Amino acid sequence: MLGSKCVLRDLCGGGRLLRNLHHMQRSFGSSSSSSLTSQSQHGGLRPGLPQLALRRILSYDRHGGLRSGLPQLALRRFLSHDQSSSSRSAHMKLRTRLVVTLLFGSGLMAAWWWVYSEKQEKLRQQRIEQLRRVALGQGTFSLLDHKGQRRTKKDFLDHWVLLYFGFTHCPDICPDELDKLSAVVSKLDGDPSLPPVQPLFITVDPERDDVAALASYVKDFHPRLIGLTGTPEEVKHAGRDYRVYASPGPKDEDGDYIVDHTILIYLLSPDGLFLDYYNRMKNCEQITESVRNHIRNYVPLNST
Amino acid sequence: MTAPNSAERKACWGARDLLWKCLDDNNDNAESCKNFQGEFEAKCPAQWVKYFTKRRDFLKYKEQMEAEGFTPTDGPKQPS
Repeated sequence: MLGSKCVLRDLCGGGRLLRNLHHMQRSFGSSSSSSLTSQSQHGGLRPGLPQLALRRILSYDRHGGLRSGLPQLALRRFLSHDQSSSSRSAHMKLRTRLVVTLLFGSGLMAAWWWVYSEKQEKLRQQRIEQLRRVALGQGTFSLLDHKGQRRTKKDFLDHWVLLYFGFTHCPDICPDELDKLSAVVSKLDGDPSLPPVQPLFITVDPERDDVAALASYVKDFHPRLIGLTGTPEEVKHAGRDYRVYASPGPKDEDGDYIVDHTILIYLLSPDGLFLDYYNRMKNCEQITESVRNHIRNYVPLNST
Repeated sequence: MTAPNSAERKACWGARDLLWKCLDDNNDNAESCKNFQGEFEAKCPAQWVKYFTKRRDFLKYKEQMEAEGFTPTDGPKQPS
């Protein structure tokens, strides 16, 4: 068995051997060239030294051991070392390659994530700058709530406020939006880490929506919902503060009319300024999540 | 005249939904839905009836636009 291995090794290394033979011939040749020439001159069949060396190298004894000449031994050692080390190094190379790839990949992902969060932060800063410049909601309003108490804007400072402008004769949109608003406030109430959010409803129809009308209207929604009304001037003043559009439609034979108005829910921060808005497309969960994020990341718009 | 309260609103919306379902089933044939129409007009303020009728027209128009796409008309003739 050992013999066959040796044979294989020899056959593989045969090419090298033959090449090395050339060198061996050279080294032997200088000493024996004279004898060679003498041989040829004599025409004898005495085997030349290179042939002898070759035969010796390629011979085995019966037990399979290879009578290794010095070059053969060195060559075999070199070959065997090379083979196992090459397999070992190939194995190691695979593992290192894998590790390097993973490191590189995770490095790339970390870099991408860092760049992405930097961009988000920049967008947020830009938005805050714009809101600061607009500073919507400055000024004070003074209105009556649905219990008849006078309330001014100062009463709602230091509170988070979700504000909706509407009117009690609204066919479907205002009730829907107020239901949504109530659901959002209830959800936020359920989170003990957040401060309580104040829901507000300001009428755009002061002609018909007096204190009594508001009282009966708001009881259908969240218990903390405050309805606000006042004289037409006071209401117009409040609407102007928040740039709310309102336009009563034509009166019909009952004297009934519908008021066309901005149907947005406004989020006011504790400094009383407008921070965000939500339209009909945003559902309860989206609004809740957005308000939660605003509360958590709050940066006062007022410089003081 | 006070606004409808929550119960009245829900009653009106229910009547509106029944009417709209009837119109959908009968391919907007107003004749076959006369009793639903009557119910609807009784339960809802007049302004709301007008509003919801216009709303239905708008929703139908929107459906048609989404299904068939928009074909612009020729527009006003250029002054020669």
